[in-house]
Amino acid sequence: MIKITDLEKFYRTEEVETIALNKLSIDIKEGEFVAIMGPSGCGKSTLLNILGLLDDPDGGSYLFNGTEVAHFNERKRADLRKHNIGFVFQSFNLIDELTVFENVELPLIYTGVPASERVARVEKVLDKMQIMHRRNHYPQQLSGGQQQRVAVARAVVNNPKIILADEPTGNLDSSNGNEVMELLTDLNEQGTTIIMVTHSEHDARYSHRIIRLLDGQTVMENIMI
Amino acid sequence: MIKNYIKVAWRNFLKNKGYSAINIAGLAVGMAVALLIGLWVFNEYSYDRFLPNADRLYQVKMNLTSQHAGTFTQNALALPLADVLRQDYPEFEYVAEATWSGTRGLVVGDKKLYIDGSTVGPHFLKMFQFPLIKGNGNDVFKDPLSIVLTASTAKALFNDADPIGKIVKIDNLNNVKVAGVLKDLPENSSLQFNYLLPFSYNEHTPYWEKSARSNWGNKSYKVYAMLKPGATYAQVAAKIKPVVYNHAEVMRPAKPEVIMQPIKDWHLYSEYENGVPVGGFIDYVRMFSIIGVLVLLIACINFMNLSTARSEKRAREVGVRKAMGSLKRELVFQFLTESVLVAILSFCLAVIMVQLALPSFNQLTGKSISVPYTNPMFWVVMASYVLFTGLLAGSRPAFYLSSFNTVKVLKGTMVIGKAASLPRKVLVVAQFACSVALIISTVIIYQQIQHAKNRPIGYDINRLVMSDMSDDLNKNYDALKNEMLQTGLINNVAYASSPVTNVYQHTTVFDWPQKNAGEEALNTATVRVSDNYFKTSGMQLLQGHDFSSSWQQDTSRVLINEAAVKRMGLKKPLGQKIKWNGGPEAGVEVIGVVKDALMDSPFIPVEATIFSHGSMGNVAVYNLKANADVQTSIKKIGQIFDKYNPAYPFSYRFADDAYAEKFNLEVLVGKLAGVFATLAIFISCLGLFGLAAYVAEQRTKEIGIRKVLGASIAQVWLLLSTDFVVLVLISCLLASPVAYYFLHGWLLKYQYRISIEPEVFIATAIAAVAITLLTISFQAIKAALTNPVKSLRSE
Repeated sequence: MIKITDLEKFYRTEEVETIALNKLSIDIKEGEFVAIMGPSGCGKSTLLNILGLLDDPDGGSYLFNGTEVAHFNERKRADLRKHNIGFVFQSFNLIDELTVFENVELPLIYTGVPASERVARVEKVLDKMQIMHRRNHYPQQLSGGQQQRVAVARAVVNNPKIILADEPTGNLDSSNGNEVMELLTDLNEQGTTIIMVTHSEHDARYSHRIIRLLDGQTVMENIMI
Repeated sequence: MIKNYIKVAWRNFLKNKGYSAINIAGLAVGMAVALLIGLWVFNEYSYDRFLPNADRLYQVKMNLTSQHAGTFTQNALALPLADVLRQDYPEFEYVAEATWSGTRGLVVGDKKLYIDGSTVGPHFLKMFQFPLIKGNGNDVFKDPLSIVLTASTAKALFNDADPIGKIVKIDNLNNVKVAGVLKDLPENSSLQFNYLLPFSYNEHTPYWEKSARSNWGNKSYKVYAMLKPGATYAQVAAKIKPVVYNHAEVMRPAKPEVIMQPIKDWHLYSEYENGVPVGGFIDYVRMFSIIGVLVLLIACINFMNLSTARSEKRAREVGVRKAMGSLKRELVFQFLTESVLVAILSFCLAVIMVQLALPSFNQLTGKSISVPYTNPMFWVVMASYVLFTGLLAGSRPAFYLSSFNTVKVLKGTMVIGKAASLPRKVLVVAQFACSVALIISTVIIYQQIQHAKNRPIGYDINRLVMSDMSDDLNKNYDALKNEMLQTGLINNVAYASSPVTNVYQHTTVFDWPQKNAGEEALNTATVRVSDNYFKTSGMQLLQGHDFSSSWQQDTSRVLINEAAVKRMGLKKPLGQKIKWNGGPEAGVEVIGVVKDALMDSPFIPVEATIFSHGSMGNVAVYNLKANADVQTSIKKIGQIFDKYNPAYPFSYRFADDAYAEKFNLEVLVGKLAGVFATLAIFISCLGLFGLAAYVAEQRTKEIGIRKVLGASIAQVWLLLSTDFVVLVLISCLLASPVAYYFLHGWLLKYQYRISIEPEVFIATAIAAVAITLLTISFQAIKAALTNPVKSLRSE
């Protein structure tokens, strides 16, 4: 599903050039649950941003479902992103001015889903995430775990092919964190490909495969049984 | 999608009520000012355009060239010109002559009016189609002894009775029959009158000059022309130019050229220079239009600055929306939608403000402007105005916010505000520069007015009264004068051909002892006076003596003023003979020199003036005794006037009131500039207040650390205030030369004017800094007083 080959990303300032990704090559199959781990500054968030088409690489190839997307323009990237990719962030990144329902509805608005259909789909997803009873609440009225469940609901409402999760349990206690990991596992079992960046070995164990990065390169891959 | 944008926008407003209120209020004031000025400008441009055939109506004028005065343009023309244009130029559909507006007495039974009107040619109402509500438009001027009244005049004379066919006595001289009633003239008509008499009526008056119809030298009339459909001024201009030159040999030395001015330019382009219209009231229309745009711009800059300053609050939303798949243009559209929403709310508030301000504004300007709520075009224009304002104000925030780097904002690593700092400072400088320029303008205008007001008038204006003189009053002048003096309420009485605050007549001195060969004749102001005039008015005799009371009208002697002595280069004026077209061919003897007196505009040098001895006057002049009660005195004098002038109502004016009116326009301009400058500063300060709050919030941690390290409240206050003060000082430095340039140009209109001193700019800068400190001190001191524990804990 995803094939990156010799991917490079540099960050340049006036004095220093930092290599974030150093000819990185990774294959991810459809339906996989992959965890990406490594020390701070190893390039895992950079990799996630490029995979999520939020950033573009300075070199190398990125095939998404067989299509080279490495140097897509903003319009094409946005289009691909909204139809195929869902995001879950460490700090939830819900919009404070929108209710739970409206936050989850937002991706559907961007993909042009008619209003009547949006209501049905949002309610279905909220129900699945067991957050339906808080549909009219605002994010600041929810606990961390509830907010992250809303974020996951928002990520999946468009039935994306892939979910990118950047430290999804980083701001949660262990109980809520486990809940979120269970949700992601359920989604993966239903066929959604998940790529997760994490510091937590515990969370990584939910994945099928762990890719460890160091200095922008893969240093180890573990297959989880 | 728009529903989503509006929802988010509305909830943002409610979440940040303080900033929303500042944004909406600031924009509302800016929009209100621009709207008010827009209504006024529209009113000014609407003058005369309501007339059918307005595109074919013209006033005929004449350019004359003299050695000393260059080319000047005058409206006063000779009657033969009207006849020639009418007969010899088929391009004209109609040509109408008219007298200048004059005050006449109209009497019906015991109803007496003393009001302005004109005599006009027979086609006047076919050209200027003011609605005739009674009477037949083709017949109204057939009878020389007929009159057309406006509706208000008819009501005043006849109440609700039908006035058609009824008799009105004019000037206690002639009976005329009411032939028509016109709807009252709208305020935006350059032509204003209460009645019209046919031009042929003049022949039934004792002062009608029989030779006027053939005398090219008698330039005392107005001429109007209407082109035929399809004819243009360009086609006829070259043809009519030499008409006076070709027909009037006496005029040839002055190289006369006939021109025409279209009616749509009468109100705004009344000033001519070198024979072409250069401006007039349009200068003020332009000036206030610019002020309106500037004030709106200041308000929009406020919006831009506050929105970009608070962009950190929206950054995450931008990142999330982009991650969801929103394109940059969709985000731009979202933020522009928000700014248009703010503009709509501001507009609603602005309309309320305008409605509340209109009565005072109308009183100040002497207008009857109203908001045309029922005019669909108004709403179309307003919709465009709101959209334009919303887009303008929201443009910078929209593009700024939508260009945030998605990755950085979602990660929380983007430092927002730093990159926007320089543009924000530039905008604050621009804002304050506009406000400072307005303040400087207000001060200079005020100084110019005061300078002119403080100019020595040259006569004693206090308790000096003027009343119109009719034929009856002239006949009984001696008795009138004696009775007035016997009341013990007045010091002196005299009469003159024009009020002491005006000059009605100009004549020509064409020869004098020191005149050089080939030197041009001298155009002089001319006032015919009784004896005792100078003593009554307080004009000072520098040399010689007044006219004697024992003389009957003595046309062989004159007094002249200092300006005339200087202009003619008379070394010893007394006893000199000058030749003047208002006196006998042999010349007139100068018997006295009068100190220059301001009888016309206080903004120009005093004209060369001749005072001749008149047998009758248009105006009686008298001064009340210092201890005489004004109301009682006027009442008593009125009774005396009524006794000798039963056909006319008593009218009077105080000279100081009449003189004060000369400053009306400048006072109005000064007041309006002051009001708008105040509003501009208010809006700028509103923005500054919001920005100061934002800056204080941004620097919470820094302030906390500084306080822990020992900074005092004053030091923290100084830290937060310095940046803003520097910006305001830069504004002053930029605004001052620009304001100087424009004000210098404005002052050049006035021959009697101030010079712009540097103190104005320094004082304005000090005031601007003081206002700035006052505005931001609240936020700065509040930040300085915050417990550092709280501010550091939040980090």
